[in-house]
Amino acid sequence: MRNNKIKHSILGSVGDTLIWIFLIGTAALILMPLVFMFTSSIMPSKDIFKMPYPWITSEFKWQNYWNAIRGPDGDFMYLRNIFNSFFVSSVVSFTTVILSALTGYGLAKFPFKGRTVVFLLIMSTMMIPFEAIMIPMYMVVINMGLQDTYPGLILPFLTNAFGIFMMRQYLITFPDEILDAARIDGASEPKIFWRVILPNAGPAIATLAILTFRTQWDNLLWPLLIAQTDKMKTIPLYITRFTAETHTDEGAMMAIAAIASIPMFILFFTLSKYFVSGASLTSGSKG
Amino acid sequence: MARHRKFGMERNKAKWGIIFILPSLIFFAVFSFYPIINAFYLSFHRKDLLSLRAPKFIGFDNYTYLFGSSNFWNSVLSTTFFTLGTFIPLLIFSLILAAFIMSRKRFQKFFQMAFYSPAVLSSVVAAVIWLLVFDPRGLGNQMLNTLFNSPGVDHKWLATDTMLRLSTIIVYFWKYIGYFTIIFIAGMASIPKQLHEAAYIDGANRWQGFWRVTFPLLKPTVLLVSVMSMIQCLKTFSTQYLFTVSGTPSKPINVITLNIYNTAIRDHRIGRASAMSVLLFLVMLFFTAMQIKGSKSDDVTYM
Amino acid sequence: MRKCFLFLLIAVLLVTCSFAANVELVYWTHTDTARTELENRYIEEFEAMYPNVTIKRVYNEASKMGDLILTAFSGNVGPDIFNLQTEQLFSYIVNGRVAPVDPKALGVKNVEEYVAQYSKGTFQPVTYDGEIYGVPLELTNWCIFINKRLFREGGLDPETDYPKTWEEMMEVSEKLTQRNGEIITRRAFDFRYPYYLVSMLPMVQQLGGDIISPDGKEAIYNEEAWLKVLTYFRDWGIHGKNLGNPTYTNARKTWNKDNGDMIMCLSGLYQEGRLKTDNPEFYDSGEWMVVPFPVFEDAVNDLGAASYGHFWMVNAQSSKTKQEWAWKFLDYMRGHSEEFLEYVYLVQPIKTLVESDLFKNMPYSNVFLEDLEKSNSVYINENGKMIEEKIGIAVQAVMLSGTDPADALEQLKKDVQEILDDSY
Repeated sequence: MRNNKIKHSILGSVGDTLIWIFLIGTAALILMPLVFMFTSSIMPSKDIFKMPYPWITSEFKWQNYWNAIRGPDGDFMYLRNIFNSFFVSSVVSFTTVILSALTGYGLAKFPFKGRTVVFLLIMSTMMIPFEAIMIPMYMVVINMGLQDTYPGLILPFLTNAFGIFMMRQYLITFPDEILDAARIDGASEPKIFWRVILPNAGPAIATLAILTFRTQWDNLLWPLLIAQTDKMKTIPLYITRFTAETHTDEGAMMAIAAIASIPMFILFFTLSKYFVSGASLTSGSKG
Repeated sequence: MARHRKFGMERNKAKWGIIFILPSLIFFAVFSFYPIINAFYLSFHRKDLLSLRAPKFIGFDNYTYLFGSSNFWNSVLSTTFFTLGTFIPLLIFSLILAAFIMSRKRFQKFFQMAFYSPAVLSSVVAAVIWLLVFDPRGLGNQMLNTLFNSPGVDHKWLATDTMLRLSTIIVYFWKYIGYFTIIFIAGMASIPKQLHEAAYIDGANRWQGFWRVTFPLLKPTVLLVSVMSMIQCLKTFSTQYLFTVSGTPSKPINVITLNIYNTAIRDHRIGRASAMSVLLFLVMLFFTAMQIKGSKSDDVTYM
Repeated sequence: MRKCFLFLLIAVLLVTCSFAANVELVYWTHTDTARTELENRYIEEFEAMYPNVTIKRVYNEASKMGDLILTAFSGNVGPDIFNLQTEQLFSYIVNGRVAPVDPKALGVKNVEEYVAQYSKGTFQPVTYDGEIYGVPLELTNWCIFINKRLFREGGLDPETDYPKTWEEMMEVSEKLTQRNGEIITRRAFDFRYPYYLVSMLPMVQQLGGDIISPDGKEAIYNEEAWLKVLTYFRDWGIHGKNLGNPTYTNARKTWNKDNGDMIMCLSGLYQEGRLKTDNPEFYDSGEWMVVPFPVFEDAVNDLGAASYGHFWMVNAQSSKTKQEWAWKFLDYMRGHSEEFLEYVYLVQPIKTLVESDLFKNMPYSNVFLEDLEKSNSVYINENGKMIEEKIGIAVQAVMLSGTDPADALEQLKKDVQEILDDSY
């Protein structure tokens, strides 16, 4: 009996070590491409293709970063394009949160005829890939005269089915008694939404805002169609400006990849609490 | 009187419900329903993207063409390969990683953040990095050759059909593993501790505890993750697009969305592209319906 | 009478002014830093000459340009002026989306005079239904660029040993390629893979094959020729002599670096301009040369790589006034063809330019010109891009997946036949 216990704890500690090794190994593998990006971004391109790969270069080429910020035509559009990405992503996050909360609230707490149908209709929009409806969407925005404008970049993403789904799942468990109490106190429905629902949906809102921000930050195809002048371009387009034929320097390319990612990393580390809880909420939706 | 008032309140509620939903509904009407209906309409027509002539009605011709086209079936195959090859390992590994992280007393947050960090990069950046890693002289070959002690072997990451498929799966896996791990961690964290303790009192070890207690209670999360990742995999586009644009063979990774894009943009055959979109839409709808059905019968409560 | 005339004159002036008051032309083109600088100057000059006209120049990466213009045109909001490669332009012409040339606005009496200003055959790819479309921005054909230093390092003399035939190309490459195990560290030569119509089809044509039979019915004409070329590619790839394949970095870009990775590449005259900006030391070193596109030993046609063009086009849906100003602006730009050659290394095939000393004094321009004279212009078909994609699939199959060339050919024939028969 006692023997068995000792065996167990030895097995346990061996297993424990194996788990550590597995976790650390996996983390190393997952972080490897990121480390590669940052280390190669300060290399002359001849080092990048050396076998074996020299993780630390012999001649630091900080020039790569200067070139990346200066831009292919020396017009320093980096800051402007970063601003555009931040601006568009922030506005989209804001409207998505408000509209999703409003709609999710309506779907969760207000029974009306055809509610299920509406919900299913909204959910069905999640099923269609963007590439399939890109052209009609483009025509709508162009016919509004919004080519090369911020509204043109923002409008098609004001809200999305996933956000509504998430807010509905979150609000469905919100206690009805609190809402009824507010109604008896004479609060109007919009007021209840602003004063009761929004303040109490904090974590869900933060999560949705960050998820939306990240998705929007990554958007490539739509800004490609809408943004024409360099000053309207977003960060993914800034990167593609460098991939044009004349630019062949891998080191410089990695520096661009790095400076395009750094703002997101800063955001990620400062708001990591929400990134982590962000994922947790989507699973917390048990209906 | 009371009944009348209650009826009035119900009506009032319905009114506000509709008011709250209306802004989103108008938005969806313009930017989703209209394009979707447009796709349905075009899928029954012949239309060249550049032609100024009106679309010509051709019934189910686009669909019958697709069902007889080897190119279409190749895309179905590529999408199936990619979806199965990505979402099953994603599911298994994220579950294992979550269980392992939860079993640690320290560094929980560090591992979560490390696994999640690739999700922060944009797809363009991810493609730029991975294309260099998969270069014949890149880190991919170097690491495998060190591991297997096989200097000078080219593993043809972007060349042969199997390796190329595997490469797209690796990129996708790398990007989303952290996301799903965190979802599982959240699911595990929400399981009341008392249940575990009760199991240990009954003489269960950690392994048994996981299988008997954690796993059954995680079922809804597993279901959610599998369907969500499946829909995402079916919709995959950017990795394959950026790879083929950089010169990799297209056939093995010509997934449905890429085929839709090329049929419309390169070949100008918008009717056929729309028919493909409609088919993809129906398949995804089917999987979602299955999820809703499955989640209802499988609901777990442990209050 | 005089009063009446004066009145009329004023009226005409007023009408012209009010019509011309706010013409805004939108011009879409692809990224090219040197050309951007040059064209921005022309836009400024043109706007100064005609204050009523403003021109908005929008540029994007070359590989994305085709998709962007297509999307815009499908939404009926295409730019007033744009440029694309001739293969891509054909659909626009067939569907009436671009306007035939306006001789008056181009400063010539009639279309014949306009055509006569350019080298023979220039407008062949943009002629349809008796009409001529567009203004040539460049006409390009590809030859072989050689890094002489690296060539000598392999123990060969570039001046005498340079490959004249495809057979020699493979022999020379076997000698010059360096590897670490299976992994190539120095390639002797490699193809430009996605551009099969420009560089691979001419190889087939040298052997008497073509995409379509002369009667226009059979796809993949002269299977023997195709089989030989596909076998050549198989031998080039990882299932043969392992000399290169599409998964390595673009040969032409690497060549410019002169870093020992790439000895020969396939490119046009514009490569010289890119080299001058990318790597001026190498450009000035004189350690590079250009030789003609190789020809198979048993070739039946002595052909160079296919020539392809970029044409400026005018949107047929733009207003008549805009169209007229667009042609005027294009006329202004084509009037500066020497500067396009001098600063951007783009050849507008204008006779006086091709015969000028400026052109003749450019390094190796004679090699390009001689090859051009014996080359076909690139295959033009509404489904050209689809066919090119299918050829690409066949080449990738033999080079990378190890498919037997005969099987790949059979599949290719089936696929291209399907495209030809499919009257969508």
